Amino acid sequence: MSRILIVEDDDHIRSALRLMFEGEGFDVDDAPSGEVGVALFNRMRSDVAIVDLMLPGISGFDTCQALRSTSDVPIVIVSARDETADVVLGLESGADDYVTKPFVPAELLARVRAHLRRRPTSAGAFTLGRLQVIPDEGVVRDQDGTELHLTSTEFRLLTDLASVSGRVLSREDLLERVWGYDYFGDSRLVDVHIRRLRMKIEPDPANPTFLVTVRGAGYKLVL
Amino acid sequence: MHRRSLRLRLLITFGVGALLLSSLFASLTYFSVQRLLVDNQQQTDLRESFANAALVRSTLYSSPPALGALLNSIEAATNSSVLVHTHHQWLSTSHGAATSDVSAEIVHAVDNGKVLHQTISRRGKLIFIVGVPIPAVETQVFEVFRLERLEHSLKILGLVLGLGALVTSVIGLGGGLWVSRRAVRPLLNVSSAAAAIADGELTTRLLVGQADQEVQQLTESFNTMVSRLVARMERDARFASDVSHELRSPLTTLTTTVSVLQQHRDELSPVGRESLDLLAADLSIFQSLVDDLLEIARSDAGSLEHVIEIVPVAELVRQSARSAAQRLGIPEVPVEISDAARELSVGVDRRRFERVMANLLGNAAHYAGGAIVVRVDAADSHVTVDVDDAGPGVPIDERESIFQRFFRGRAAHDRSLARGTGLGLALVRDHVAAFGGTIVVHESPEGGARFHIELPRREGAVE
Repeated sequence: MSRILIVEDDDHIRSALRLMFEGEGFDVDDAPSGEVGVALFNRMRSDVAIVDLMLPGISGFDTCQALRSTSDVPIVIVSARDETADVVLGLESGADDYVTKPFVPAELLARVRAHLRRRPTSAGAFTLGRLQVIPDEGVVRDQDGTELHLTSTEFRLLTDLASVSGRVLSREDLLERVWGYDYFGDSRLVDVHIRRLRMKIEPDPANPTFLVTVRGAGYKLVL
Repeated sequence: MHRRSLRLRLLITFGVGALLLSSLFASLTYFSVQRLLVDNQQQTDLRESFANAALVRSTLYSSPPALGALLNSIEAATNSSVLVHTHHQWLSTSHGAATSDVSAEIVHAVDNGKVLHQTISRRGKLIFIVGVPIPAVETQVFEVFRLERLEHSLKILGLVLGLGALVTSVIGLGGGLWVSRRAVRPLLNVSSAAAAIADGELTTRLLVGQADQEVQQLTESFNTMVSRLVARMERDARFASDVSHELRSPLTTLTTTVSVLQQHRDELSPVGRESLDLLAADLSIFQSLVDDLLEIARSDAGSLEHVIEIVPVAELVRQSARSAAQRLGIPEVPVEISDAARELSVGVDRRRFERVMANLLGNAAHYAGGAIVVRVDAADSHVTVDVDDAGPGVPIDERESIFQRFFRGRAAHDRSLARGTGLGLALVRDHVAAFGGTIVVHESPEGGARFHIELPRREGAVE
């Protein structure tokens, strides 16, 4: 049984979401604000979180950051705002996915489930310049042994690109592999995560040498 | 309707006005001066004639043989010829005189004892004839003055006045040109500003500056009008956007709740199930409507941010067509890329281009039995994307209106089951325009509808 945290200030939406997820067999914790949500998460250790962006008190962005600072829990933002700036900022603050209101409930369910049942990756250990990536242990280590922190989505993105040994993966390939979308989703998801990953693994994120863009095709990992 | 040019009319009015006025003044001047000069001349000539007649009389009394010499000396002094008539015949004349100048009637009239003077034309020249009777000796003295010098003066006067009138007319024409330019310029400014505003440059205003007072009023009222209209448009657009946005929360509750009900579908009675299906179906239309309305309202308000990326058109169209088909749950449509278009790029917002493809393919699926093929080709400076369907085509009179909001064509009426939002194609046109492109519909060679998109070619790398 999976445990889901719903942070949403609109009572009706929160109740409806609770009903829906309970109906689908989830254990649901819900919170009307970011503060309550973070406290609840720290107590219940939910498996996945749904966060609204416009919240009273601390914002949805801050809530995501607070959750991310202590855990790799998959976070799905559910927001009425769909401007690119919001989407990017939401993903930058640590969310893994972004759904715009009003959403198709089945789609939200599918996304939440996809985040919960990430298949183990088939990639073996490999090195990226000074970095050692060990998928079995789920860690990335620097030469001097310091562990680099990647979220599960970032790790998945990196190992999936590694598993195709230098081939190019299109944005939709990546959405399917990493996010488990069975149809073309929002390519901004991929772009923002790639950027975040570059910040962590590239010596010079502005001129990537490992995680490179292939014009008109997608991304590839140069090993 | 025959439209006349205001400038031309002003110009003609000024030109003709100046010509008429100057001609009138020139003529008045000419005739008054002519009259004055002629009167003067005649008075002088008349007095002279009397004096000369007195001389003739005294000569006739004292020494008649000296008459000829006298007449010649008078002619020499006054440049007029003198003729003396007595007892029905010419007694004597000066050298330059011609008896034919003095008609029989004149002679007869003077013979009756009347002093007579008149101006007549002889051989194309004006002459002034004065006849003075000397009844005591039954003699008549005639003096013929030639008016050549007067005529010459008048000719010069006429010439000068005519020239003056001509110059005045030309100046009037020039003035007309200047005035018409000046008068029409603000109108031209207003018209070009209005055109710019109509083209969507809503920040266009007229310059309030060195304009004349009346024009300044026009400028100010024009600017005020535009500002108010723009404010009104923005308010309307914001309102639509706000409304759609506010609809999102309750709509989210509705769709989620309906999905919960659907989880419990089996527990419902048949009536409940049927009602739920109806509710679910219309809710999804409602959701699309709110989505489209919000998008259109934003586009109107100018707050629709397009993230324009330069992308290879082949990849763009293939992916968009595929994902649109998957999202809509319709069969995938073959995409044909011509060799010429294979390497070309266009500048679009990916998500919105996908929306464009989804709306076109969805429309085809709803109203025209589905799209058959999507073709990408290259033209001069742009890339074309054609979406052909297998339907009956779009009637010629609907080919433009089909892109209007909430337009319901015959196809939509025919199929009550296929219900769209009525905003799909309007949104398509808005988006394509935002990419700097155009979209039209015409007939495909197979007889169906062909939606033809043209997008400008773009150079540059993708990131």
